[in-house]
Amino acid sequence: MSAATTARPAQQSADVPVRKADARLHRGVGRWFVLALAGLFALGMLAPFVIMAMNAFKSAADYSQNGPLSLPTEIYTTGLVNFWTRTNFPVKLFNSILISGLVAVFGTLLSLVTAYAIGIGRIKGRVWIVAVFLIANMLPQEAIIYPLFTMANAVGLSNSQWSVIIIFTVIQSAFGIYLLSSVMGTFPVELLEAAALDGAGRFRILWSVVYPILRPTLGVLMVFFFIWTWNEFFIPLVMLTSNDTQTVPIALASLQGDRMMDAPTTNAGALVSLLPALVFFLIFQRTLTRGVTAGSVK
Amino acid sequence: MKRRTGLVLVAAAASLTLTLAACSGGSPTTAPTAGGSASATEPKTLTIWDYESGDSAMGQAWAKAVEIFKTKHPDVTVKEEAQTFEQIQKNAKIVLTGDTVPDVMEYNKGNATAGQLAAQGLISPLTDAAKKYGWESKLAGSLATTAKYNEKGLMGSGEWYGVPNYGEFVGVYYNKDLFKKYNLQVPTTLAEFETVMDTFKGKGVTPLATAGAEYPLGQLWYELVLANADRSFVDSYQLFASDVDFHGSQLTAGTTALDSWIKKGYIDKKVAALKAEDMGVSFIKGKYPMMVSGSWWFGRLATEMKADWGMFTFPGNKLHPGSSGNIWVVPTKAKSPELAKEFIDITLSADVQNVLAEKGGLPVAGDTSVITDEKVKELTTNFKSVLDQDGLAFYPDWPVPGYYDVIVAQLQALANGNKDVPATLDGLGKAYASGKDDLLNG
Repeated sequence: MSAATTARPAQQSADVPVRKADARLHRGVGRWFVLALAGLFALGMLAPFVIMAMNAFKSAADYSQNGPLSLPTEIYTTGLVNFWTRTNFPVKLFNSILISGLVAVFGTLLSLVTAYAIGIGRIKGRVWIVAVFLIANMLPQEAIIYPLFTMANAVGLSNSQWSVIIIFTVIQSAFGIYLLSSVMGTFPVELLEAAALDGAGRFRILWSVVYPILRPTLGVLMVFFFIWTWNEFFIPLVMLTSNDTQTVPIALASLQGDRMMDAPTTNAGALVSLLPALVFFLIFQRTLTRGVTAGSVK
Repeated sequence: MKRRTGLVLVAAAASLTLTLAACSGGSPTTAPTAGGSASATEPKTLTIWDYESGDSAMGQAWAKAVEIFKTKHPDVTVKEEAQTFEQIQKNAKIVLTGDTVPDVMEYNKGNATAGQLAAQGLISPLTDAAKKYGWESKLAGSLATTAKYNEKGLMGSGEWYGVPNYGEFVGVYYNKDLFKKYNLQVPTTLAEFETVMDTFKGKGVTPLATAGAEYPLGQLWYELVLANADRSFVDSYQLFASDVDFHGSQLTAGTTALDSWIKKGYIDKKVAALKAEDMGVSFIKGKYPMMVSGSWWFGRLATEMKADWGMFTFPGNKLHPGSSGNIWVVPTKAKSPELAKEFIDITLSADVQNVLAEKGGLPVAGDTSVITDEKVKELTTNFKSVLDQDGLAFYPDWPVPGYYDVIVAQLQALANGNKDVPATLDGLGKAYASGKDDLLNG
């Protein structure tokens, strides 16, 4: 991985040194202006995180006396420890990773095979099928929670992570199918014909021709599915009723009482809950940029 | 192209191993849970759901109750699960229809909450247990109101469905340092209270911390209504004993008083935009000398406030906003309902009630003499004086579902000067009437 990352910028700078120097001279002021704007924007984006991190290490008394915007007078870690032990965080973390990870994999697979039928197989009524998927995706979760809960109970999946995994595999892949089927709709027919002439069957075409070309897009889908599922609150809240099956966002919500809030512990919890998703995002960030630019240069 | 796919492969492989590792690591921990909830042949368990934090008075008292229960029933596995307030509050109606239900759970009292579960048959009646264990005599008067619900889910009459074991009430917290600075005494009548506020106002200090965007302003309004009301008004307003005239003497006098307090500057001009948290934090900082709010602030003030402070009941009032705390309910689908009832009885025992008392949790059947902390003693004595007068008048938003938002909106309009007193009362009365009609005839 590292070899590839270092190789690319070197190549680029070798191509364009003259043009770059030239451009700098002409756009000197404008560039600084853009940099300042980007810096301001970054500050604006970072501010909530900084405030959260500041308050995560502040004692409750300090918070009440000096407000949320002051620097902590001491590094106070009781809030973090409280959150960690009170919610039994490792279990929630494991559940979240299990659910989000499996949904990312299953959702992407399901999207791929379904979109293949719609986008390349061009089955009858494909427009309507995609429309139905999209509508299902846009329904408010509150509207479908009763049937989902009853169905999960009926098949013995009440209070099981699998109920949530199945539900989100379907919900997320609704979007995936829409995206992939429109991508596959523009798939070069020549490639498919060539493969068919060489005697490849439908599955062979999917795995040997379509899948390799779509891989960057699938990578993006996986990252999206993971993060979306990670952040889901309402359906896991209803479906997962005992402490050993619940996920990180629910653990975070359990800090919010009836009338009381404990700002430092909530901030500490938010910080701890955000980190895994952030780490995941940083690891797969390159997959994202690659997927987004996939097909722009052929 | 080649480089790209290689990287994606790495990424995909990484995420796969991540999930696979998660799978293999997880199966041993998840398997027993799934089995435990499904099979009935296992040894007996008692599952308890609550949403109090472990270090609150309730959390500590209930931990004690679990300990006592375990020594009485060493063969029973006790599963204590800390739930999300929102989970229980908003989703109980769905969750309790499922297969995984607790044997006993904490729930909010009132028509809109426990009443609805009772009316839908999701929680079981406890009248027999109340007789057997003597809860009827331990919890008398306004405390028992929140324990009983009729077939429409209205509190105050019918079968026992819930059992409270602590209480709460609204009073006045005051900053003793600021009182000393301006040489003021604790007021005992409403007139004295206004004099104290005038003095503060005269020195350029806004006397009352409150918040109009959430519950505090509504509770202050209700205090002022109660100053002009008696128990029969409360029965009409809360329990629908008779019709409430929103332009009658009690509500008009109370609302007019609040209006004049706003106009006199006893309350901050920006009150409509403030939240309960803002109110609490600014009182803790010492920005305002007094705060009218509930006993739930006690623990936080005790640990966070630097200035010396105390609490008195709302001057002159015989009735106060307040009620029993949240209640224990037993879901209809509970697997060990008898054990659940026994556990509830333990939470009312002297041992557990005294833990509540010592920690400032306002026990319903505790002994104030065990309290050593001065502030806890003051709070508990205040609560006892309210109970002795049977003075719990519940909360203004209780009578009809969704009334909380109506009260907040109407009083914000009053505070901003967008509505005068009669228009505010019209707004409050209209929503009340239609909500009441839905409850009784819907």
